[in-house]
Amino acid sequence: MIRTTRRKLLVASAVMAATALSLSVMPAQAMSPRSEVGVTSTAIKLGITLPMTGSASYGYNQLPGAMKAYFDYVNANGGVNGRKISLVVKNDGYLPKQAIQNTQDLIAKDKVLAVIGALGTANNKAVASAVNLGRRGIPSLFINTGFSGFNDRKAYPTSSTLLPSYIMEAKLMSKYLKETYPGKKVCMLYQDDDFGDDALVGFDKSHGNMDFAVKVAYPSLSQGVAGVPDSWIAKFKAGGCEVQVVFGVASATLYTILAAAKAQYAPKWILGSVGADIGSINPATVPYIIGATSMSFMPSVVDPKDEYVAKFKEINTTYNPGAKFNSWALIGMNTAFVAVQALKAAGKDLTRMSLLAAIDNNGSKFANAGLVPLNYSKTSNVGFNGYWFGTFNKTGDLVPNDTFTYTPYTTDSGTGDVVKTTYVRPAMPAKGLPN
Amino acid sequence: MRTTSFKSRAFALVSTATMLATLVVAAPANAAATDPVCDGKTPVQTCTGTTSDGAAYKMVVPATFNGTVTIWSHGFGGNTTIPGVFAVDSSAQLAPSAVSDVMVKYLTDKGVAVMGSGFPTQGWNLDEAVKTNTELVGIFKAKFTTTTKVVAWGYSMGGGITQAFAEQHPELLSAAAVMNPVDAWSSQSKYFIDLLWLMKTWFDPSIKLTGYAAGAAGDMQMLGDLQKYTAILTALKAGVASGAWPTTSSATGKALQAGGIPSRSALLMIGRLAGISAQSTSFDGITGPATSAFTAWPLAYAPALATLENIAGVLGYSLLGARDMQNKMGGISFDNQKTDYSKQLSDEDRTVYNAGFSGNTAIAGMLQTLSPLNPDAPRIKGDAAALAKSASTMYESTGKIKVPTVMMIGQHDPVEPAGIVQRMSDLYEVDFAAAKAAAMKSAQKSGAYIAPVRKLQVIWSVTPKAWSKFDADGGPISLSGTPGTGHANFTLAQYKVVIDAAIDAAITGNLPWTGAHLSKITKAKGLKVDRDTLYPWMKYYNN
Repeated sequence: MIRTTRRKLLVASAVMAATALSLSVMPAQAMSPRSEVGVTSTAIKLGITLPMTGSASYGYNQLPGAMKAYFDYVNANGGVNGRKISLVVKNDGYLPKQAIQNTQDLIAKDKVLAVIGALGTANNKAVASAVNLGRRGIPSLFINTGFSGFNDRKAYPTSSTLLPSYIMEAKLMSKYLKETYPGKKVCMLYQDDDFGDDALVGFDKSHGNMDFAVKVAYPSLSQGVAGVPDSWIAKFKAGGCEVQVVFGVASATLYTILAAAKAQYAPKWILGSVGADIGSINPATVPYIIGATSMSFMPSVVDPKDEYVAKFKEINTTYNPGAKFNSWALIGMNTAFVAVQALKAAGKDLTRMSLLAAIDNNGSKFANAGLVPLNYSKTSNVGFNGYWFGTFNKTGDLVPNDTFTYTPYTTDSGTGDVVKTTYVRPAMPAKGLPN
Repeated sequence: MRTTSFKSRAFALVSTATMLATLVVAAPANAAATDPVCDGKTPVQTCTGTTSDGAAYKMVVPATFNGTVTIWSHGFGGNTTIPGVFAVDSSAQLAPSAVSDVMVKYLTDKGVAVMGSGFPTQGWNLDEAVKTNTELVGIFKAKFTTTTKVVAWGYSMGGGITQAFAEQHPELLSAAAVMNPVDAWSSQSKYFIDLLWLMKTWFDPSIKLTGYAAGAAGDMQMLGDLQKYTAILTALKAGVASGAWPTTSSATGKALQAGGIPSRSALLMIGRLAGISAQSTSFDGITGPATSAFTAWPLAYAPALATLENIAGVLGYSLLGARDMQNKMGGISFDNQKTDYSKQLSDEDRTVYNAGFSGNTAIAGMLQTLSPLNPDAPRIKGDAAALAKSASTMYESTGKIKVPTVMMIGQHDPVEPAGIVQRMSDLYEVDFAAAKAAAMKSAQKSGAYIAPVRKLQVIWSVTPKAWSKFDADGGPISLSGTPGTGHANFTLAQYKVVIDAAIDAAITGNLPWTGAHLSKITKAKGLKVDRDTLYPWMKYYNN
C-alpha cells in the first residue's frame, strides 16, 4: 500500500506538473470553457452504487428512492440552473468487486458527473483505489460511511463523507455511558473490521477512555450463522453485563436482540447509529428495542415540529409514492438536498472541479436537516461531526424525548473534547428549494 | 477461439502426473552459428539453422517480403525431461503455439517474415534468450539484406525476454509486442517463493522447497513437493465450507485452526500476501448462488476458491522456476529472512477481504505466526554464493520503454499478475509526463510545441461483468476459458490486434491510436485500452 500510494503520487504529480505547464503555455483564446462529462445545457447526471438487494441492503436500498424523489421535486421546479438532475442507480450487493465495476460503468458508460452517496467502507476503499477517482478528478460525494480513513484528503482528494466518523461516535458514546451509567458493567459487541477498529480508537484511553467489562468482536457475516449470536449473549450474561453496546451493522443488532430475548438477557441497550434502526427492517423487533438508546445527527423522523422532516415527508409522499418515510428516507432526501446546493454553488459552468470547489468553499454553510454542522472546507472532507442521544419509542422510532428537544454533541476524530454544540441549523429554504 | 500459452502440452501433465525418473538436459556447448539453410519454396520459403549457442532457429520468409520481420520468444518450458511423460522442447517456434500456423500464414500473407528459435536452454532463460535473439536478428539481416524493421514479440517468459531484449538492444528493434510478461527475476521469484513458502509453512512443513539435490535425485524431490502441494490444494478445496485444515498442517497451522480460523481464510491470506488475484476462471467474487449465501459466498468463499484455482495455475511454473534457478545458481538464490509479511497485506485488502479473512483478530493472528521469531515458520536462508551470482550475472528488467511497445495482459493471469504491466505502465506515464513537460518548456523558448510521441500502448484482456455459475443446489460450477483469467488466455483475434499494432508502429514510427485500430480492439472482444486501470504492483516493490 505504501508503494501503491507513492506511485500514485509519483504519477499524479508528474501528470499534474505537465498539465500545469501546458496550461501556462496555451494561448488564452484556447482556454474557453469545455463541456463536462455528465453535464449538458439541460441535464446533470449523477450516479450511486449501493446494495439494493441482499442481506446488507436493508434500509439502505431506500436511499436512492428518496434521493430521486427530491431531485424530481427540484426538476419539477426548474432544476438547477435550468438543468434537470437524474440519478443512475446501480446495485452492488455490498460487494467491493461489484462496486468497482458499477463505478467504472457509471463513469465510462453512463458518463455521470459525480458519484454520490455510495455506501460502505470496503466498497469505497476498493473503488477509490481500483478506479482511481482521485487521479482522474472524479468526485465521490457524501459517502455513506463513518470510517475515519476517508477523511485523509491526500488519499481521497475527490471524496467527501457524510456521516460522522465512528471515532466521533465512540467518543460521544463514551461520554454518554460514563455520565449515564457510572459504576455499571458496560459490555460491547463490535464488528471486527475497519468499522470496529474505528470504534476501538474512539473508546481508547486517549479518546473516549471507556472501559468495557466484556468485549466481543464478531467477524462480518458471522452474525447470520446459527448459534453464533447465542454464543455472544452467553459471554455477556456470564460477564454480568448491565449495559450492552452494539457497534455493528443492522443485521448484527437484529440477531443479537433476538438471541438476547431468547436467552432472557435484558441489559440496557445502547445501539450504535449504523445498526440501530432495526424496527424499520423487521417490525417484529420493535418490542425488544423499546427504551433502547441510540444516536442520530438527523432530527427524529417522527418529530412533529421539524420543518425539514415535514417538507421532506411531503415530497416523499408525492414523488416517492408508497415508500415509507423513515430514517433512511430522511438521510437520502437530505443528501440530495445538499447535493443540489453543491450543484448550484458550482455555477452555470458546472464541472467536476467546480463542484468539488463549491463544496470546499461553501459546503459548511449548506442548509440541511442535520442538527450538527457539516465540516467541509479546503482542508476537510468531513461531513457531520456529532450526534444527539435518544431512545426508541413504542413505534420503534428514535426520539430525543417527549418534547423533541435535542441536545447534540460534537467532537473530532482526534483527541478533541466532546462538547454540546452551539450550532444553529439554517432554516429550510422556501418551498424546500435552495436559493 | 480460445488459446493458451503453454509452450508444451506436456507441461500440464507435470502438474498432475505421477512422476517418474528424471534427468536434466545439459546445455549444448558453444559453437559457431550455422547459416540459414533455406528450402527455396514459393510463395514462402523456410530457413533453418542453429545459433552459436546451439539454439535451433527457423525463419519463414514470403516472396513478397516487405522488409519487416517478427522475432518470437516463446513461453516458459520445463528444463527437465521425464521419460514417457515430459520432454524438454527446444524446437524453434515462430508464434503463439496454439495458433502458430495460422499466425505465420497471417503475417507472411502480409509480406512480413517471421522467425524464432527454441533457445539454447529452457527454464528461466532470459539472459540466454536475449543473447540468442540478438544473434538471430544479425543472422536474418545478413541473409535477407532488404530487412528494414524488426518487431520482437513474445508471451509469458517470452514476454519478459522481449521486454529485456527491447531494453538492452533498442537499436535492433523497431517495435515490440510484450504479452503477459514475467517480471524481473527478483520480483517474479519472490512471487513464486512467497506462495510456496507460505503454503509449506501453514499446510505442510514436510515440503522441501529448497536445497534440492543435484540432478535426477533433486528432480524427484521437487516432484515429490509438487505432489504435496497438489494434495494441499485438494484438501483445501474439500475444506472450503467446513474450514477444515489439511491433516498435514504444521503446528502453527493447527494452532490457527484451533483458534477458529478456517483454512479458507488462511488460503486467502496466502494469496493476498503473495499478490495472486482473488478472481479466477470460475470465481468472480461478485456472483452468489440463489440461496441465503447470496452475499456471503462472493465475500467469504469465492475469493478463497479463486485463490486456490489461481495457485493451481501457477504451481508448476513456481516449482520448476525455483528448481531451475537453484540449479543455475548452484544454490538457493532466494532469501526471505528479513521479509516482513505483515507489510505485504495492503490496507485495501485488509478491508475488502475482511470477511474472507474472518475479521481483524484472525488477520492479526495469522500474520503473527509469520513472524521470523516463530520457530515453526523457519525462513529460507539463501546461499551467499548463489545470491551473489544471481545478482551479478542475471539481467534485471527495468521496465523502461525504449521502442514503441504494445503490451497485452489478462486482468487475472495467475502466473504473471497484471501488476507487472501496471508498474511498467505507471513508470512510463511518469517518463511521458516528464517528456511532455520538457517539450512545453522548450516551446516556451521556441514558440513551437513538438509533442512527444507516446511509445507504450497497454491493452488489457478483461473479464465479463460476472461469470460465476451455480448449480440448482447453489454449488459452484467449474468453468474454463473465461476471458481475462487464466494464463495467457488470448484469442487469435487478440493476437492479431497486438502484432498488427506493433508492425504498424514499426513501419510508421508511431503506435496506432486511430479509430480503425481502436475499432479492431473492440471487434477482438474482451480488450480495453485504459491508462487508468489500476492493479497493485508486485509485492517485491513494497520492500
